[in-house]
Amino acid sequence: MTTSKKYNRREVISKGLSLGFMAGSAWILGRPDYLIAQNRLPAPPDLVAVRNGEPDAMFQKAIELMGGMSQFVKKGQTVVVKPNIGFPRVPEIAATTNPILVKAIVKACRDAGAARVYVFDTVVLTASRNAKNCYTLSGIESAARSAGAIVVPVDDFSYREVTIPGAKTLKTADVHSLVLDSDVLINVPVLKHHSSAHLTIAMKNLMGIVKNRMIYHLSGLDQCIADFCLFRKPDLNVVDAYRVLRSRGPSGPTDPKIADTSLKKTLLMSRDIVAVDAAAAKIFGADPLDIGYIRIAHQQKTGNMNLNEMKIATFTM
Amino acid sequence: MIWVRIRQVFSILVFLLFALLFLLPERFIHSGLHGLVAFQFVPALIRTLSEPEALFAAGVVFVLLITLCFGRVYCSFLCPLGTLQDILSRLSARMGARRTYRYRPPRNILRYGLLAITAISASAGAMTLIAALDPFSLTGRLFKHLVHPPLAWVYNTATGLLKPFDIYRHPLDTAFVPLSVAVFTGLFLAGVAYLAARHGRLYCNTLCPVGAFLGLLGRLSLFRLRLNPSGCRECARCEDVCKAGCLDARSASIDESRCVRCFNCLQACSKNTIRFRPVRRPGAGPVWSPSRRALIASLAAALTTGTAAISFSLRQPLAAATTPKTLPVTPPGSTGFAAFTHLCTACSLCISVCPTKVLTPSFMDYGPAGFLQPKMNYEKSFCDFECTLCGRVCPTGAIGNLAPEDKKLTKIGEAKLLDDLCVVYVDHNNCGACGEVCPTGAIRFVEKETILYPEVDAKFCIGCGACELVCPTRPRSIVVDALAVHTRAEKNISPPTPKRPGGLPDEGFPF
Repeated sequence: MTTSKKYNRREVISKGLSLGFMAGSAWILGRPDYLIAQNRLPAPPDLVAVRNGEPDAMFQKAIELMGGMSQFVKKGQTVVVKPNIGFPRVPEIAATTNPILVKAIVKACRDAGAARVYVFDTVVLTASRNAKNCYTLSGIESAARSAGAIVVPVDDFSYREVTIPGAKTLKTADVHSLVLDSDVLINVPVLKHHSSAHLTIAMKNLMGIVKNRMIYHLSGLDQCIADFCLFRKPDLNVVDAYRVLRSRGPSGPTDPKIADTSLKKTLLMSRDIVAVDAAAAKIFGADPLDIGYIRIAHQQKTGNMNLNEMKIATFTM
Repeated sequence: MIWVRIRQVFSILVFLLFALLFLLPERFIHSGLHGLVAFQFVPALIRTLSEPEALFAAGVVFVLLITLCFGRVYCSFLCPLGTLQDILSRLSARMGARRTYRYRPPRNILRYGLLAITAISASAGAMTLIAALDPFSLTGRLFKHLVHPPLAWVYNTATGLLKPFDIYRHPLDTAFVPLSVAVFTGLFLAGVAYLAARHGRLYCNTLCPVGAFLGLLGRLSLFRLRLNPSGCRECARCEDVCKAGCLDARSASIDESRCVRCFNCLQACSKNTIRFRPVRRPGAGPVWSPSRRALIASLAAALTTGTAAISFSLRQPLAAATTPKTLPVTPPGSTGFAAFTHLCTACSLCISVCPTKVLTPSFMDYGPAGFLQPKMNYEKSFCDFECTLCGRVCPTGAIGNLAPEDKKLTKIGEAKLLDDLCVVYVDHNNCGACGEVCPTGAIRFVEKETILYPEVDAKFCIGCGACELVCPTRPRSIVVDALAVHTRAEKNISPPTPKRPGGLPDEGFPF
C-alpha cells in the first residue's frame, strides 16, 4: 500500500498564506524605512508653518518638514540667500530679516554642500555709507559671514537686463547678476507693514534683486511686483514672522522704543511664493485679497493664494 | 641747512595729514585729525569771531605769536597751499623748466587792497573773495573736487576687478561736482601752478589775504633774516633761490613782509653771511617810509569801515540785493541761510565727510555772496537721519555742532507734495516711495479702495530730502522747500496708523 502524504486544500491555503506572510514580513523588516514612510506624507507639504520657537529652531523644524535642505541645495551648487536688509535698523525694529534666521539658513546651505552662499540686498537709499549701515546695524552681515556666507555690497554695475515673458507692466528689469548666475535662490523676507504696498513679504522682497525699483513705483507697484515673479520664482521662500512690525513700515522708526512690533514667533516656508504671502498676510491679520500683488499674482497663475486648496503642515514648538 | 630740511619734512607732513583728512575722512574723522584746522588762520579766525572755542582761539593766538616771533613761518610750515606751491615749483624744475628767482618790488596796493576788500566784504557778509582766495579753503576744494573723484574711480574700478575672486567691497561714493565748480577749481589750480612754476610764491605775496595780513605782522617779527654785507661775495645765490622774490642781493636787504621763511637763502649762502637772529628793536623796521605810514593809516581806515559795516547793518541791504529767489537748503546746524552764507569759506570739509554725499558744492546758488558754498542737493542724495558729521568738522562754525537728538528735530526745510504730478493722485496706482524712506513718519497714507494716497504732515517733517530723492516722477512731485531760518519739528512718538486687531498671537494658526 502506498501511503502518500496528501495535502488537503485547507492545509495548502493556510501554509501558503503563512509562507507568504513570512516572506512579506521578511521583506518589510529588511527595509524598515518602508514601514516608517507609511506614517509620513508621501510628498512634502505645499506650505509649512511653525510657531512658538526661536528663529533658528523654527527653521530647523520647518526645513525638516519640507524634506530637508537637500531637496533644495545640491552639493557644489551656488546659492543666493536674499534677506530684507533695506533699512539701517537694528533687529529689534523688525524692519530687516532676523539675523539668527539668516545665519541658520546659510549654515544649512553650507551643510548641504553649497559651494558658495551669497547674501545681499539692494538697500532702499543706495548711498554707500547707508548701505554699510544697513548691513551692519541689521546684524545680517556679521551673522551671515560667521556661517560662511559671502556678503556682497551692491553697486551699479552688478546688474544685467532681462526680459520678463508675459509681464503686463514690468516687461524688462535689471536683475542682479549673482541671482542670474547662481543655481539656487532662497528668499528670506521679513513680514512687516508697508506704507504703500500694505504689507511686504516674499514677492515684495524680490524688488531687492532689481536695480531700478523706481520703475515699480512709477508704473504701478502691485502689478510690477507680481510681474517680476513671472521671470524668476525663488526655489524656497522662508518668511520671518518672529517679530512683526505692525505700523510705520517698511522702515519703522529709528528708535526701537517706539517701534510698533509684536512678537509672533512664527516662521513660514513654501516653494509657492503666492501661498506663503497669503499665509503671512493672515498671520499679520490682513485679508490676502486686500493685498494687490497677491491677488494679481494668483490671477497670473504664479501660485495659489487659496490656502484651503493646499497641504499645510503646521507645528507648534 | 637743517632749517630747510625741517621745513620740508614738517610741511609735507602737514600737507599729507590734510590730504588724508580730505580724501579719507571716514578713516580719520574719529581720530581728531580735524583739530588741525584750528591752526589754519582764516577758519580759526572766523570761528573765534563767530562762535569762540578754546582750540580755535588758541590756534589764532598761536599763529599770531609765531608770526610776531619768527615772521611768516606759517606760510612755509602750516599752509597746505604754500606746500602745494613748493611741490609744484619743484616738479616743474624737475621737468626742466629751470628758473632762478629774482627780486621783485612789492605789489603793496594789490595785496593790501585785496586784503582790505576781502576783510570788509567778509565782515559785511559776502564771502566771495575769502572763499575764492583763502589758501586752506582753496586747498580743500582742490583735494575734494579734483583729486578725490579720480581716486574714487580708480578704487571702484579696482574693486570691480576683484569681484570674480568673490572679494566684494562697498563702492566709494564721491560728491557730485557741478561742471562750473569743477572748471573754476581747475582754472584756479592751473593759475596757482603757473604762478608757482614761474614765480615761486607770488600768489602768497599778491593774492593771498592771509599772506598779506601775516606780512603786516611779519614786519614786526623778533627774529629776522639779516644779510651781513661784510662777508658777502655778491654771488647772489641767495636771490636765485628766494621764491618769495623778497631778497635783494644788491642792496643786501630782505623784505620781512614778504619773506615766507623757507630758509633757502641760508642754505644757498656759502659764506654764512645770512643769519636768522633776533633783533633788538623789534618795533622799528629797517625802512620807515611815508608810504608805509600811509599804508597803516589806510588799513586803520579799512578796519574802521569794516566794523562800521557790521554795526550799521550793511548786511541787511546787501543780503536783500544778493539773495536768490529760491533758496538752497542749508545743512542742519547752520541755523539758516544768512548765518550759513556769512560764515562759510567753502573749504568743502563738510562735503568730504558727508556720508551720503548730499552736500555738494554750488556755484552761484546762494547768489554772488555765497560763491562756491555747499548746499543740500536732494537730486543726488539725502541727509542721513542719524548723522551730525558736517557740524562736527565745520571749522568756521558755519555749520554748528548739533547733538544727535537735536539734529533729528532740526527742520531745515519742508516737503511739499504736488498732487497734480504724483502718480498715486494722477494714475491711482500705489507708489509710496516717499513714505518708505521718511525717517520721521511725516508722510502718511490715506487708503481709498486699497490705494494709498500720500499726505505730508508738516509738523514732523525736518526736510531731510529722502522723499525728494526717491520720488520717481520727473519733475519730482515731492520737493523740499528751504527754510530761510531753521526751526524745530515735533517729535513723532506714537505710531500714526492704529494697531490692527488681527493675528492670533497665542492660539494656533489662522489657516
